[in-house]
Order: sequence, then C-alpha cells, then structure tokens
Amino acid sequence: MSALELITLVNQALFVGLFLVVLAHAVRRPSRATVDTALLFGSIAAAVAVSVGATAVGLSDAAPRTPIVLLLFNLAPYAMIRLVDDFSGTPRFMLHLGAVAYVVIAALGFAFTVQRELVQLAIIAWFLAVGGYAAFAFAWESRRTRGITRRRMRAVATGAVAFITAVVLLFLNGMFSMDGVILDIAAQLTALTAVVAFFVGFAPPEWVRRAWREPDLRRFLEQSTRLVSVADETAAMAELQRAAAAAAGADGASIGVADPRRGVLAYISRDGERVEYPDDQFIAGRAFQEQRRIVAIDATALDPANAARYEQSRARTVIAAPITRGDRRIGVLAVYADRAPIFVEDDLWLIELLADHTSILLEARDLARQTGLLEAREEAARLKEEFLSAAAHDLRTPLTVVLGQAELLERRTARNPAAPVDAAGVSRLTKEARRLRDLISEMLDAQRLEQGVTMDRRTTDLRSIVTTVLERHAEEMSAVAVHLPDEVLSATVDGPRMQQVIENLLDNARKYSPDTATEIRLWREGDEARIAVVDRGVGVPDAERERIFERFYRASNARDITDTGMGLGLYICRRIVEEHGGLIWAEPTPGGGTTFVVALAGSTPPASLPEQAEPAHWAPAGDGTEAVADA
Amino acid sequence: MPDVRVLIVDDEPDIRATVSAMLEIEGYRVDEAVNGADALRVLEDHAPDLILLDMRMPVLDGWGFARELRQRGHRTPIVVMTAARDAARWASEIAAAEFVAKPFGMDDLIRAVERARPAT
Repeated sequence: MSALELITLVNQALFVGLFLVVLAHAVRRPSRATVDTALLFGSIAAAVAVSVGATAVGLSDAAPRTPIVLLLFNLAPYAMIRLVDDFSGTPRFMLHLGAVAYVVIAALGFAFTVQRELVQLAIIAWFLAVGGYAAFAFAWESRRTRGITRRRMRAVATGAVAFITAVVLLFLNGMFSMDGVILDIAAQLTALTAVVAFFVGFAPPEWVRRAWREPDLRRFLEQSTRLVSVADETAAMAELQRAAAAAAGADGASIGVADPRRGVLAYISRDGERVEYPDDQFIAGRAFQEQRRIVAIDATALDPANAARYEQSRARTVIAAPITRGDRRIGVLAVYADRAPIFVEDDLWLIELLADHTSILLEARDLARQTGLLEAREEAARLKEEFLSAAAHDLRTPLTVVLGQAELLERRTARNPAAPVDAAGVSRLTKEARRLRDLISEMLDAQRLEQGVTMDRRTTDLRSIVTTVLERHAEEMSAVAVHLPDEVLSATVDGPRMQQVIENLLDNARKYSPDTATEIRLWREGDEARIAVVDRGVGVPDAERERIFERFYRASNARDITDTGMGLGLYICRRIVEEHGGLIWAEPTPGGGTTFVVALAGSTPPASLPEQAEPAHWAPAGDGTEAVADA
Repeated sequence: MPDVRVLIVDDEPDIRATVSAMLEIEGYRVDEAVNGADALRVLEDHAPDLILLDMRMPVLDGWGFARELRQRGHRTPIVVMTAARDAARWASEIAAAEFVAKPFGMDDLIRAVERARPAT
C-alpha cells in the first residue's frame, strides 16, 4: 500500500467516524444544529462509502458511480451554510440560492458525464463560493463569542478552509492531469487537516475540552473567590455574573438570589440595578421552581409570554440551572446568548459546575455577613455588659456613703440621744443621695434618647440658656470664664435639653480638668449659632475624639482620672444636638485641653441688623478658614 | 477599745469621710490618703496596723500600691474596699487579708477590719 493510499484510507475512516459521532449526538439531542452537522458529515461519509463500495465490487470510474458520489459530496457546502444560519443567521435568499445551486450542480453531474471539465469547474466554483462563505462566517462569528465556544468556532472555520482547499486541489488535479501523486498527497494531507479540525470543532474529545476550559474556569474561580469579601452586594453579584458569562462563553449571565419569604428572585440588571421578579417568572424562574436545568435554544418559543423581553435583551437562547446547596434552594444561574451558539448544549455540565460554585460562593458570603452581624451583636453585648458594670460601680459609691452616714446617725443617736446632729455627715448624705438620683436619671435619659423623644423646640435666646445653667450651678461654676455676644443670638431649641447639653459639657470640663481655666463661649458663625466649652486639661487622644460621643465610651485617659462616669454624658449631648439637626464635635484647645463645639442652625437675624453690627467673636481653634477676627 | 491605727486609701472624699467616721466611732485611729502614692507617703510618717484600700484610683492604683508596699518590706494587712464585682478576685490578686464590697454597711466594715487586724 502506498503512502497516498494510506492517507486516503485514514481520511475516509476519520470522516466516517466523525459522521457516526455527530449522528449519535443528533439522535440523542435532535435540534436543527445537530441535524445539520450530521447532514454535513453524512454527505461526505456517504460519498466515501459509495466510492469505496463501487471500487470494491469492481465498478470502473464511470457512470453511474461518479454522478452519485458528486450528488452526495456536493451536499456538504449546502449543509455548511445551513450550519452558519443555525448559529449566526444567514439571509433567507442565501439558503434558497444554495439549494437551487445544489440542484443545478447535481443535474450537471448527470447531464455531462462526458464533458467532465465543465462539471468539475462548476463544482470548484460551488465549493469556493458557498464553502468559502461558510468558513468566513464561522471565523467572523467566533470573534463575537468567548471561551470554549470561540475556540470551537475557530476550529470549524479552519476545518472548512482546509476542506475546501483539499476539494479544489483534488478536482484541479483531475482536470489538468498534472503530476498526480504530489497533488493528490497535498490534497489528502489538507483533507486530513480538515477532518482533524472538524473533529476538534464539532466533537472535541474530553481532554481537549478540559484543556480549553481550564484557563476560563481558573479565572472564574479566582474572580469569584475574591468576591467573598466584597461588601457591596450589588457590585459583587454584577461581577460574579460577568465572570460566569465569560467562563461559559456566553453573551451574558444572570444570577437570581431567592427570597423564599417574598417569593422573588433578585437579579442585578445590566445597568447594575437590583431588580426583583416573581420566582416563577422567565425561564430562569421555571428552572428554579422545577429544580432542574432548562435549555431554551429559542427562549421566545418556550416562554412566549415574555418573548418581547428576550428579544429586547438579546437573550434568545437561555440555559438556566438551579443553584442549590443540600436542600436549600439558593437561586438560579442563567446564561444567555443572542443566538444559540451551536455547541451550547455540550456545555451543560459547565453551567452546572458554575451554578454549584456560585452556591458555595453565595453561602460563603452569607456566612461572612452573619459573622459580621454576630460580631456586631457581641460588641453590643459587651458594651451593655460594660455599661452595667460601670452603672453598678457608679451607683455603689454614693450608696456606700448614704448607707454609712445613715447608720452612723442611727448609732450616735442610739448611744446618746442628746448628741448634736452631725451636720457634715447629713450634708454628705444629702449630696450623695442627689448624686444617685442624677445618675439614675442620666441612665434613663440615655435610654429614652436612644428610643427617640420629641423635642419641644421654641425660638430662644441662647444667651439666656447659658446664663440659666451658670446661675443654677453658681457655686461650682464660679471659675468659668463666660463670653457671650452683646446681642440676641437665637435658635429654635428645646430649652431644658439644651441646658442639659451645656451642663454636661461644663461638668466634664470640671471633672477631667480640675483646677484649670474653663471657658464658655457663644457666637454667630455664618448662619449658625455656636457654643464652645473650652478646657485646658489633659485633652482627648486624637484617635478617640469621635468615639467619645458613642454610648458608654470613655476616653482611655478619662478612665485614669476618675472611676466615676458611665460614658453617657457626651452621648446624651450628641443625641440632643442631633435631634436639633445640629452638630457636636471635639477639637484640641491650642496649648492643651479640649474644646467641645456645638453648632446649631441660627434663627435668621432681623433684617435691619447689618452684618458688621455683630459683636466681637472668639475665633475657634483649628481650621483657620473658620476663624473670625476680633473687630 | 483596741489601739489600732487604720489607713484609708480612696479617691472619693465622701467615702473617706464616711469610713473614717465609722471607724472612729468604734475607737479606731484613722489616717487618710487620696491614692496609692499619697498612701506611701502617709505610712512613712504613721505606720498603720491595717490598710483599707480602694483598687481603682488615679496616679497609683491599689495593685501598684500593694506591690510597692510589699517591696518596701511592710507586712501590714490590707482590706480591699471596692465597688467592683471582682472584689474577691482583686483581693486575692494582691494577697489581701479581707475585702468589703461597696455598698457595705457599718457591720460589714467592722467585721472585716476585726478579722484582718493583727492580734494585739
């Protein structure tokens, strides 16, 4: 057997083998694409079979063998344009033209068995034109697709080009009777390339698919694993959809996350918006309801009620697979394409793999979120624990004094009824009993403010609020330097609440900065009224300047100075100021200490008051742009 | 009445005054200190027979004071006097003889002091 005969034999065997594979596929999953694939290789295999069979029974190279072989063989280009139509669309007239041309060619084969050159030229033209068009269409369409589909399309395009080249070489050789062997070998080698490329494209062996998918899957796994820690739910889901689409080689993917209580599936639209649909709507909803994968090569036919939507979102082909973890129905994964990529059904296991991995990812995200919630709950419990312990401590100290002094009074009287009353002891008792009352009301206050209270707000001159506080605590606050504007500076406030804010701030200054100069200032800053309490004590560490306004939080250095205090004073201040729509913050006092500033929306000053009539201001520390120079 | 000298260490003036009065009426002699560092100075002048010690104080707290006291070779018994739930644990941490948890009554205080004071 010569080398030429060997290659020819191998080629024939491969084409027949390929036909059997795609035929089996078409029988298992009949669809236009699989049937057309079987038609393509069936025509070639049949031509081979007739040719070989005729030789075997000793028929010479003459009628009726040749016309029958050609009749079958010439069907191949027509099958190719049908395949092109299956996955990317071919104008109707091309298909009709192809059919007519095929009939003409077939007729020529029978009519002119004598004038072989004419027939052969026509066949070359037929293969070049129609087969070339198909090869080009496959190559062109492969640019639009991704991943494994793209690789398979390219293999098909390569096979088509090689096949046509081989056919043209064979016929040219026959026509011009050139040095037959060399051309024949070239033709058979090209045909071998074609059949291998077709095999890879139409029926890739498992190991080839695996090798092709590896990079896409790896990328998907890497991308999706990163998404576990992405806090933004919408962004994470959008990213996951993109990754799944890329890995599946589809135009796009949708992941619907089920909310079983409300019976909806939540998707992220292509514009990055969260959208919800009833969990039985669309093909994805059906896959979720029936807990099985659904392949809709033509979604508009399977779900006509939503046909317009599929058309509009260019999702004519949809494959949906439920996302399930054990017994839990988590959601659904749907990949879609404008046209059915002809190989999409082979990729079902890939879609299921993606759905599986997505379920793991969603569960991981869920766990991460629950862990976060748990941590927050633990933090809240810890704060409550701290509060109770601080509250218990704070209540016990005055209670010790009250109890002790009462017992002392009792004992002294018992021993000597005529003894004079221990005035100092009684005043201690009274003072600590008051402190107990204040602590309790502070705790209740914080509790009430937490739940939200309505403020009784009236337009009030803030100067009167400051002076009321100072007068009420004249004894402790005699050392406080007071700077008030000369004119009315009003704001709409709940008077007693605002007094409480100022009291708390002054009390803090006294407690944490004893024996240093404390000031209170009130001024207008643009549209705002501002109150500042300035101390020159130890100051608040930079990192804690915001935290001190949290409930139960006490600055680290405040805990060193005094054991009393529950960390509620500044929290109460913040809540009250915020209820007024204002702001409170702490900033360092130049030269040491802390300045607490309360900013409230001021009532509009009377129009007749010119701006420069404002009194001299104190310039707040820190931001120079805010400073108002003394006049 | 025993001639026992007690040093009260607490940063709360009202607690000091109340505890002093409770002990004095029972015949004890009393000195006061506002924190651990102050107490170390006071006991150099008048060595006490017993120390009533608050634990959480500024400057030098109960733990620091107890350590320093032992390092200086004083074996004076200590009664921990604290508002914390952990009074018992804290007392054992500094090897105190007794503890009283605020709020304590006069009987609790005197009983603890009686048990802790060295036999005369």
